[in-house]
Amino acid sequence: MSSKLSNGKKGRFVSPGERLGVIEEFVADAGTYVRDGVIYSEVVGRVLPDFMNKRVSVYPLVRKLRIPKTGSIILGQVSRVQKQNAFVRIHNIGEKKISGFFSGILHVSDVQLRYVDSMFEICKPNDIIRAKVISEKNGTYHLSIKDRNLGVVYAFCSQCGYMLELSRQRMRCPRCGRIEKRKTSLDYGKGAIA
Amino acid sequence: MSQKHEKLIDKKGLRLDGRKPEELRSVQIEVGILPNADGSAYIQQGKNKILAGVYGPRELHPKHLALPDRTVLRCRYHMAPFSVQERKSPAPSRREIELSKVIRESLEPSIFLEYYPRTGIDLFIEVLQADGGTRCASITAASLALADAGIPMQDLVAACAAGKIDDIVVLDLMDTEDKIGSADVPVALMPNLNAITLLQMDGILTFEEFEKAVNLALEGCRKIHAMQKEALKTKYVNVKEVEE
Repeated sequence: MSSKLSNGKKGRFVSPGERLGVIEEFVADAGTYVRDGVIYSEVVGRVLPDFMNKRVSVYPLVRKLRIPKTGSIILGQVSRVQKQNAFVRIHNIGEKKISGFFSGILHVSDVQLRYVDSMFEICKPNDIIRAKVISEKNGTYHLSIKDRNLGVVYAFCSQCGYMLELSRQRMRCPRCGRIEKRKTSLDYGKGAIA
Repeated sequence: MSQKHEKLIDKKGLRLDGRKPEELRSVQIEVGILPNADGSAYIQQGKNKILAGVYGPRELHPKHLALPDRTVLRCRYHMAPFSVQERKSPAPSRREIELSKVIRESLEPSIFLEYYPRTGIDLFIEVLQADGGTRCASITAASLALADAGIPMQDLVAACAAGKIDDIVVLDLMDTEDKIGSADVPVALMPNLNAITLLQMDGILTFEEFEKAVNLALEGCRKIHAMQKEALKTKYVNVKEVEE
């Protein structure tokens, strides 16, 4: 990564649509597109011509677009819970905040390896969860928390709304004493909410 | 109402603001000036002051507008109530709705919409001060805001108008020239691909005059494109060097 960054300082500055070469010279790589046999840049960045491998790419200077993909780890807030599903508003992809939000869906079959009867004992509305995108079929992001590092990161008491504490494998509300159930991640209550 | 206007071009061949017929107004462009937006640009062209902000690609709401094969570009051109001499109602007028559509359609061919299906890009254009040729300046600024947002594009879009005043074809009309003059031809161009994305005409021109006006406007677009590139360079090259 660091070598890529240092390369990004050297190349010629280009704006979208600048001609970089023809397909006979180079294979068009990231940040470029081909039109009528000519390679153009498609983002603001610096050109990285790789004469060894005959490739040309543009190292972007602009922000990276963040859209959930299969495999990405997301942070989101549970908006609605049904017996079989939970609906999640994805706010972060990786550690980075995205503009607006994307909607994801978490099914009970993707919660734990063992059989889970009801989503209500996994998470509740307003909980912050960390999950992995396992599929984007039919234009919906299907999530999974089948991992020790995935699950509820912050939970709130369904009676008084106070943040629940994890003590001896159960969730306890320090204000009203209510005991609840969640599928927590390993670092419950420790991570920062961005 | 039949007020006799002064000549728009004086004996020396100069216009009301002292420009030559084939001269652009002074243009200043700044990129990335709105920290809350994903991409933004600000343009001053003569007395025009226009802000453009871009959000996205993000999940489109209402969701039924989303398309399965490409992203939806939504554009709002809006003039501030204080942007003109007499207060303009802040509600979107018929003209603003049409300009929103025209600007959207002139930018759509420059964006790779098919890269991000089922999402939306929101583009907001706010005219703070208007002095003729706002649609062209808006397109110029909006295209830069899209590039600043990191959205993959085929090319930047630069726009410029030409027109006819006092029987002479001139470049980049300002408000009085637009109102009193006899024709206005706004043109938007993707300069590297040499493709026109917007071409309108308001008024009457002969075929020869039209051809001359278009060529003049294209020349103006190319000049503005050079300024667009310069604006991107000042943001990205200098800022990066300071950071490191």
